[in-house]
Order: sequence, then C-alpha cells, then structure tokens
Amino acid sequence: MSSPSPPLSTESDFPKASPRWLQPLVLLSPAGIWLALLLVIPTLLILELSLVPGIRPGQVVNPSGLENYTRIFQPDYFPVLTRSLSFAIATTLICLLLGFPVAYWIALIVPKRWRNLVVLGFVLPLWTSSLLRSYAWITILRPTGVMNSLLGTVGLPPLDILNREPAVLIGMTYSLLPYMVLILYAALEKLDRSLLEAAADLGATPAQAFWNVTVPQTLTGIAAGSLLVFISCMGDFINPEVLGGASSMTVARLVYNQFLGATQNWGFGSALSMILILIVSIAIALWLKYGDRSSAGGV
Amino acid sequence: MAIAAVQVECKLMSPSPIKPRFSFSWLAPFSLLMFGFMYLPILVLAVYSVNDSRYSAEWKGLTWKWYQAFFNDDRILTALSNSLIVAFCAVAIAAVIGTLMAVGLSRYRFPGKQVYQGIAYLPLIIPDIAIAVATLIFLAAVAIPFSGGLIQLSLGTIVAAHVVFCLSYIALVVSTRLTNLNPSLEEAALDLGATPVQALVQVLLPELMPAIVSGCLLAFVLSLDDFLIASFTAGGGANTLPMEIFSRIRTGVKPDINALSVVLILASGFLFAAAEYLRYRSEQKRLAE
Amino acid sequence: MTIPSHPQTPSLSRRRFLQASATAASGLVLSGCGWTLAEVRPTTLSRGNKDEIYIYTWESYVDSQLIETFKTQTGIQVTPSLFSSNEEMLAAFQAGKSANFSVIYPSDYTVGEMIEKRLLSKLDHSRISGLENLMPQFQDSAYDRNNEHSIPISWGTTGLIYNSEALNPAPDDWEYLWQNQQKLMRKMTLLDDKREVMGVTLKTLGYSYNSTNLQEIQHAYEKLVTLKPAVTTFTTSAWIDRLLAGDLLLAMVYSADAVRVINENPDRKFKYVIPKSGSSLWSDTMVIPKSSPNPDAAYAWINFMLQPAIAADITQRLFFATPNQAAYDQLPTPLRNDRSLFPSEDVINACERIIPLRPEILELYDQYWTKLTSG
Repeated sequence: MSSPSPPLSTESDFPKASPRWLQPLVLLSPAGIWLALLLVIPTLLILELSLVPGIRPGQVVNPSGLENYTRIFQPDYFPVLTRSLSFAIATTLICLLLGFPVAYWIALIVPKRWRNLVVLGFVLPLWTSSLLRSYAWITILRPTGVMNSLLGTVGLPPLDILNREPAVLIGMTYSLLPYMVLILYAALEKLDRSLLEAAADLGATPAQAFWNVTVPQTLTGIAAGSLLVFISCMGDFINPEVLGGASSMTVARLVYNQFLGATQNWGFGSALSMILILIVSIAIALWLKYGDRSSAGGV
Repeated sequence: MAIAAVQVECKLMSPSPIKPRFSFSWLAPFSLLMFGFMYLPILVLAVYSVNDSRYSAEWKGLTWKWYQAFFNDDRILTALSNSLIVAFCAVAIAAVIGTLMAVGLSRYRFPGKQVYQGIAYLPLIIPDIAIAVATLIFLAAVAIPFSGGLIQLSLGTIVAAHVVFCLSYIALVVSTRLTNLNPSLEEAALDLGATPVQALVQVLLPELMPAIVSGCLLAFVLSLDDFLIASFTAGGGANTLPMEIFSRIRTGVKPDINALSVVLILASGFLFAAAEYLRYRSEQKRLAE
Repeated sequence: MTIPSHPQTPSLSRRRFLQASATAASGLVLSGCGWTLAEVRPTTLSRGNKDEIYIYTWESYVDSQLIETFKTQTGIQVTPSLFSSNEEMLAAFQAGKSANFSVIYPSDYTVGEMIEKRLLSKLDHSRISGLENLMPQFQDSAYDRNNEHSIPISWGTTGLIYNSEALNPAPDDWEYLWQNQQKLMRKMTLLDDKREVMGVTLKTLGYSYNSTNLQEIQHAYEKLVTLKPAVTTFTTSAWIDRLLAGDLLLAMVYSADAVRVINENPDRKFKYVIPKSGSSLWSDTMVIPKSSPNPDAAYAWINFMLQPAIAADITQRLFFATPNQAAYDQLPTPLRNDRSLFPSEDVINACERIIPLRPEILELYDQYWTKLTSG
C-alpha cells in the first residue's frame, strides 16, 4: 500500500564487510516469519475451509467444491450484502463530510502550539470500549433518552431513530470519525499553504481555492481515510447488532453467526470471509488507482 | 523532511505566520460541535458512573460506590492489567519489526516483493472473526501439537496474534512517512563512515519517530479494544478487558464498567497532556538555544 | 516466498499470481487432506497445578464471594473465564481451549452435543456427594441419562417480562404478541436466539418447539414475518434499561434475567409470565471435559456447588433457580413462592426442552433467520 518508491539507497552504498543480502534479511525476515506463521497459514486454512460445504468443528476437512460460494449468491443473501455495502458507503461519505472541516480547522487554523493536543483530544474517546460506546448511544437515542430531552427543551418534536438505520449510521460514524480526522489532519498539515495564498492573491474565492488547491493536494489522505472507514464498516458487527433494528443483518454479523451461532457452518463462514476480503480488495484496487493519480499530480 | 521543506518555503513566501485569509468562519463552531458529538457518549458514561442506580433508566442521586466497586473488583483489575500487558507487548514487538519491515520494503527490490507487501497489509482487510478463528485453528492444529505442548494458549498467544495487525498499522503509517523522507541524510552518514546500523539508529530513526509514535498509538487503541481475536487466542483465566466487558454485558451494562471507562479516559488524557507539555517545553528550549 | 497474495496487489503480474496460486494449492493438497477441523486433543504436557482450577462459565454464575469461600474450604484457587453463548463456548473449546478448563457450564442441548462428540468424561458418582438432593425431574434427562456426564446447577424458562401498568389485560400467551401488535408496535424485543424465537412461533402454531418438519418451520417463518414490524430488535441484554425507562412495554427474556431485574426494582410494576401454551425449559449444568487438567479439583468444585447451603446462598444472591431440593428448602419463603423463579408443576409440564437438531435442519433455521433479519 505504500506507493512504489525507488530504493532510497542501493546495496553498494554499504561497506563491503556485510554481505549484500544480510541487511534486507535482517530488516524483512522477522516480520516475514511472523506474518507467514500467524497470518498466511491461518488465511490459507480459511481458504481451504471455504471449499468444504457445511463443515462443522470435529469433521474431517476435505475440500470438495464451491458450494459455499454459490450459496452466497442466492437471493436470500442479497439484501445482506447490499445492506453492508450501503452502511459502509454512507458512513464513509458522512465521515468525510464531517471530518474534513474538523481536520481543516485543526491543521490550518488552530495555533501550532495546541494542534497536537486538539488532535489527541479528538481521538481520546477511542480509549473506551467500543461496545460500551454503542450502549451509551442506546441511552442517548432511545425514545425517552438524552437526545429527545434535548430536542424537547428547544421545542422540537422527538425522534424515534433507535433500532433504525440512522442509529447504525450514527454509531458507525461515531466509531470511525476520529480515524478519518486523524488521517485527513496528517494530509492537511502537509498542505502547501503558499498555493492557497497565491490562489487568494489571484482573486480566487475561498470555494474555488478549496476545490482547486486544497482538495487535489489532499486526495491521497481523502482516499486513505475513506478506505480505512469503508473497511472498518464492512467488518463492524457491533453497531448493527446493538443499534440496528429487527432487520439489521450484515455480512460481518452473518460471518460471526456462522462461526459462533448455533449452525456452526464454518465452511460457509469462511466463504463469506473470503467474499468480504474480495469486496475490500476491490475498494483497495480503486484506492490504488486514485492514490497513484493524486501522487502524480499532488505533493 | 518534506513537511519541513514545505514549511520553509511557506515562510519565505509569506513572512508573517499565515493569517489565513481563506479561513471560513463556520469552521470553529462546527468543529466544536463535532467535539461535542465525540464526547456526548463519554458524558453519558460519566453521568451514569456516579448514578446511585444499577440501571441507566433514571437518575437516583450522586454516589461514588461504582468507583469503589471497580477498584475492589479483582476480575476487572486483572482483566485491565492483562489488556495493558498485551497491548504494550504487542505494540512494542510490532513497533520494532514493523519499522524494520517498512524500511526494508521501501529500500529493496526483490522477487516476490509485491506479494510480501500485499501480505503485510492483509490484516487490515480480513474480518477480525476470520482471523480469530483461523489463528485459533492454526494454534490448535499446528503450533501446540508441533511444539510438544511448549506453546499453550495464554496471554502470550494473544500477544502473538495482536502483533500481526499492530504490525500492519505501524508499517502503514511509517511507510507513508518514509516516502516523504529525504534519502541524502542517511547517505551522507554512510559516506562519513557510519555503519548501516548507526545510520539506521542515529539518522533514520529520529526522522521516523513521529510516525512510529502515531502508528503505535493507533495500534495500542486497536489492541486494547479487540474482543474477537483475544477471546479466541486466550487461554483459561487469561481474560482481557473487552472479553470481560462482553461477557458482563449479557446482564446489562453495570455502572462500575462505566466508572472504569471514565478512569481510563481521564488517565490517558492526563498522560497525553503531560507528554505533549514536556515535548512542547523541550522544543521551546531547543529553539531558544 | 511464493504465497498467493490477493489480486489487489498493484502490479503483480498475472502469470506470477497464477504460479503462486498453483504452488499454494498443491501445498494445500499435500498438507490439507484429511485433517480434522477443531479436533480436541488430550493434553500431554500441562497437567495443572493441584491448587488451581480454571472454569468456563456464564456471567453472574460465579462471584468473588463464592471463590473466596471455596478457597477457604479447599485451598484451591478458582479462576473463571466467561462465555456469553453456548456456541461461543463450544467453538472456542473445540478449536483449542480444551486444555485449560476443568469444569464447564454448558446448557442442556449443548451437553447432548458434547456427549455426542465425546468431549465429556463420564462422572464418577461415587466421588460426588449430594446428588440425591436434586429434585426428581433433574435426576435424569433426555440429553444425559441419569446425569452420567453432567450435574444440573440452575434452571429456568423463557418467557415475557412486561410492564403491568401499561399492559392491561396482561399477556398470558404467545398469541398475545400477534393480537396486540398495534399496542406493542416498536415497544417489544425478542431474544436474539433463532431456536428460541422460532420455537416460540412453532409453539404458538401448536407445533413442537423443536420441529423438524419443513412445512411447520416454513409456517413459523411466515407467521414471524407478520410480527416483525412490531419488533424493535432482537436482543438478549439490551432491553433492561429501556424496559425500566418505559421505552419498551414487553420483552422476551430468560427467566433468570427477568427475576433479577424484578427483584432489583421492587417498586416498579414489572412482571414475568410463562405463556400458557408453554415455552422452553432450560438448565445449565456442570461438566468435566475429558481434557480436564485437574479432575480432582473439578470434583471438589462440583461437590462444593452441591452443598445445600452454598446453592441456597447463590440462589439468593445471583437469582437463578436451584435444582437442589435441600437448598430450596432453606430459601426464605418469598423466594420459594416466587412463581417466576419456581413455576408450578403444570406450567413446567407445558414447557419443552430445546434439543440438538440435525445440521441440515439447523441450516434451515439459520436460512429463515437470515431471511427474517435481513428482509
């Protein structure tokens, strides 16, 4: 995911005493071994399981077909996939919309001395359990809860959104907004302000300057933040479960149910995981496309 | 380096530290509103942590009993310390090997590099539940039998599993910083006779430090909040805080867990503020000299 | 390394990807064929410390007071781990946690499944004292003949907790939910448990809680669909505060949770009812897995939990019904007469136990459940 960069220095720069292969080996093998053991082998196990129809714990693993995959494309599961996707896309857009002004404010307007503290302050709520935060939203959103008392005091009618889609979106946005702000902040901090000044000198309106200078320069950050939020939403099973209503089945919950529900169909669960990985991979492919384009024209 | 360069450029072009003409007046109030949004649930947790009722259905008066309950609850305290141990160990290991990996990947071309790179960031995209189950199957089917029982499910196996995703996040953050680095400094050090290790530790590492620190913070938070992977790779009796919270929530959220959250937020907030203050002071000193 | 990456890797050539995949696939064939998924192996090395025992149980079944008492009596230190569903416990246990636990607390139908999978050791009844104190209906069960593998520790029912001030007439049967849909619109929750919710609907239609008849199951699904608009959500725990605050009027719950909430809020008008046409009767048990690292301590723990004084004490403190007659006799009268905790014989007789179903039937339940919760 790091954009392909030329080697910073070639091997010949190093003293002859250490063989050419030693340094890369020292740098790359610890992580490589760790990942091979605890990630690659387990992922291959999941891949293998996804090829065994209906396997439950205690049965012999004998890959025999793509039945688990064809099952996913039954019409029954279609709403599950579309719900997951629409939650993820909507949350990504909302986070971008809400996160950009905040990141902009911190990176360009807050005095430098306070910037770090303000950023840390914004991500501090992550220090509590995500499950507890979701439950706190129940207390806020329920019909006689905090939100409706606040609405009542300013004379607005109460809202009944708990256990409906807006509640899930609020919960997801809440959990992921800090990450979005963090990434956008990092991108905006590097913004070449002289260009903004120049744009202003040349008579550009703030909106023009924003669209023609700020956005192109932070496209990488926007793409990275959106990707992170999208991926996390696809894997989130807490917010849909706690804040969602009677119709809130998502892919992540379905995966969870296959492994930890009464059916214990680990084969189907594995196939669903693989599909989830595939969807996210497509998102990453899109990201790489945009990331490349922006790095060519931007910083 | 790149940022520094941009900043220098800025100063050259506009001598006064940017008084942004292009600022929008609604930004500050909007950001404050978003801060409110972020802290509203925390406020709710805090209020109910001092509420004299076990349930958050109504306000029954002020009490500190939930804080006492939590400070006297061995299980929560053990879970908390387990979580902190796991997060510290996993992040420490991941910081070292993740930084090495990011440096190695940015520097060398070798056959299969793209495969390596793809795998390195795989943990970011696999659903937690799949990683959790797969890791447990691997540990149970391969690691434990092949090690002759030397490896047992314990805090150690949670750490091993957490290192995997911590590694990815840290490497991701570090590698973005690496692409912005000026390679000539390290080259100069090598030309001046520094060993590669010296060049790495004395020149590259300080440059990468901000990225390593922010990557570690991110990884720490994720490790501290992970329920699925921990619950699958933990041994008997080795509960982490999220596991404890998940199993307790079956009987409803108890205010002592809220109290714990408030203490955690206050403590880490205080820690951040202190660290930031120290950093700022040392920077001022350096500038003054 | 020749390990297949995912197709998103930026410029991985197609040929190399295919090569890598082929290598990996052959590796799978070589290593893969015929291994058993999540096979529980007896541990050879880690025989536990004699004075230490790990148990795997539900939240609110063990508290620090109980652990203290056990330690003073026997000198053994108990460390509980908690699970929140039978399936979670079974998955984790089978996939590798088996080495740790000496006592586990599965529910009835899971006991059956664990016996079938040969995970449980046969209990030596001569080492257990106090078995004769168990109530007659708990001396034997369909899932475990003569308690050969499991000792019941608590039992209860599934039913409805409701706000008696708002609901008049009070609910008395499952059909009430369908008849009063308008009144209950978005003011009721059902359990997040497909067997229970489907079971209830089957029961309402006059079928068995454990039906394996395809038509009956489909019937139940269709009936549930008509109720769904009124259901706020399916949840096991998130109903408590909302019921107390008045946002919910009714929730389908396990009796243990209901009794605790009712007892902790005596000033309010919440009542628990077991619907007339019957519901499910569940019991949680203590078992010793074959892989137990410390069976001696496990027997000590079971004997400790069977002591009438201990069982009576935890019933009062943790509000779950004890199957222990001697303990029941020691309870204060109000608790003994609590019909939510100890329902009458007739009510119990109308209830059914949830039994393990064949995988293909479970699969069907699961598909209908997914359809219900995604549509």
